[in-house]
Amino acid sequence: MSQPDLALPGLAAPTGAASRRLLPLAMAVLLRIAAPIGSVLLLWYCAIWFSGLPAFVIPRPERVLEVLWTDHAFILEHLWATLQVAAIGFLWANVAGIGLAVLFDLLPPTRHLLLPAAITLRNVPYIALISVLMLAFGDSILSKTAIVALSGFFPVLVNTMAGLHAADEVQLDRMRILNASWWQTFSQVRLPYAIPSIVAAQEITGSGAIIVAIAAEWMISSTGLGYVINNAMQNYRGDKVYAVALLATALSFLIFTFVHWLGKRLDWRAGDQRR
Amino acid sequence: MAAPISIRNVSRRFGETWALRPVDLEIAAGEFIALVGPSGCGKTTLLRIVADLVEPSTGEVRIGDDSAREARQKRLLGLVSQRPAVLPWKRAIDDVRFTQKIAGKVGFDPLKVLREFGLAGHENKRARQLSGGMLQRVNIASAMAHDPSVLLMDEPFAALDEMKREEIGEWFDRELASRPKTVLFVTHHIDEAVMLADRLLVFSPAPGRVLEVVSVPVPRPRDAAFRQDPRFVAIAAHVRGLLMHRQAA
Repeated sequence: MSQPDLALPGLAAPTGAASRRLLPLAMAVLLRIAAPIGSVLLLWYCAIWFSGLPAFVIPRPERVLEVLWTDHAFILEHLWATLQVAAIGFLWANVAGIGLAVLFDLLPPTRHLLLPAAITLRNVPYIALISVLMLAFGDSILSKTAIVALSGFFPVLVNTMAGLHAADEVQLDRMRILNASWWQTFSQVRLPYAIPSIVAAQEITGSGAIIVAIAAEWMISSTGLGYVINNAMQNYRGDKVYAVALLATALSFLIFTFVHWLGKRLDWRAGDQRR
Repeated sequence: MAAPISIRNVSRRFGETWALRPVDLEIAAGEFIALVGPSGCGKTTLLRIVADLVEPSTGEVRIGDDSAREARQKRLLGLVSQRPAVLPWKRAIDDVRFTQKIAGKVGFDPLKVLREFGLAGHENKRARQLSGGMLQRVNIASAMAHDPSVLLMDEPFAALDEMKREEIGEWFDRELASRPKTVLFVTHHIDEAVMLADRLLVFSPAPGRVLEVVSVPVPRPRDAAFRQDPRFVAIAAHVRGLLMHRQAA
């Protein structure tokens, strides 16, 4: 009896060599995904078994996933509010941080004028700033986005300034000898050299924006994931707290990964490595 | 077109420290001047004063009828550094075009010149894909792309090995014959200076001052055989003696 032909029409069956190449790749991908999830789950179960804490303090992972599924409409509604706060705050942080760094490069005396103020603002306890913002704007998107922006703008400012000063002196001499304008030097030399530093700042600020937005909502808001956590705590719903934490962690991780990927595309050094 | 340079009583102090004692020198259009001396003697400072990258403490530099600043603003100067200033994210051909775009002047066809510079087939490569010698050729092509009257070179071949250094030096001398420039060339390498220059400015150790201006009375470009010429040997020995005597003193 002849064997039936299992290959789909127009699709060649994988050769031995191809499958030998694909197998290690599949294993590597699986390991990269499975290993972190597996280790987190292992730690989680160990904590449940050995801590002896009640389920409302440390619920089982499957219970957390169940909450995510059953309450998804409620959580998604508040997730949208958090995302808005994080995105607008992140944008503000970048406009302020990158804008100031560019201004300092264009007009160096402004650095002496404004940098001490920025450093002072950075060192004022956040809780005091949040209180003032709360008094000024109440539970509004303005107060929450301001908190996210304040937490993010300083790393963006410092990294952008460092990046703009990282340009190679020989390149800058070349631009000076060619009598290049500020804009030509900035756009053609300083900015490309600054991109890796700016991307590093985005990785910190982008993923941190979600966490800070949740913290702001936890303190002053009646919307967003922070509010959901606060509400769940008051009702002894540890499972819901964990569900939101899991979602926020996954989001932060996704944002970090996206910014990192985008940064690699923009970074001229990464381009060389790809080649 | 090459331009004459007049250096009149040019000095530079950093606080109480002399980086360069007063220097006077008249350089004819198209002349090749090598600045030779130990580290820290003020060679690079003098080059950067001519480039208008450093302010002199006294004196002035004239390039043709212009001050150093006017010459820079008119894009009459080209600068070649020891570390190539080729932008690492640009292809060789684009880097040469970049100079022309910034300067707003097209000195020559970049593709043609890169090929004449021995870079045929490498025009589309980026800095990391080029060898040290190739990269320095791109660097020189970029510095000359807007057809400057004066070329200021700060140890341009220092990062190359001895053989490559001699090869690229001789190549550069031949290239200058078809594109005359006034050249100020900083080097530690006495043989390289004697091989390439019309005159050598020999500096004393810091605080730098000019010990002697040594002429090389042999027309350029010179070929490798000149290294065996008794005049080459005599001039190199004389310069070496000047520097060693001063350092010992």
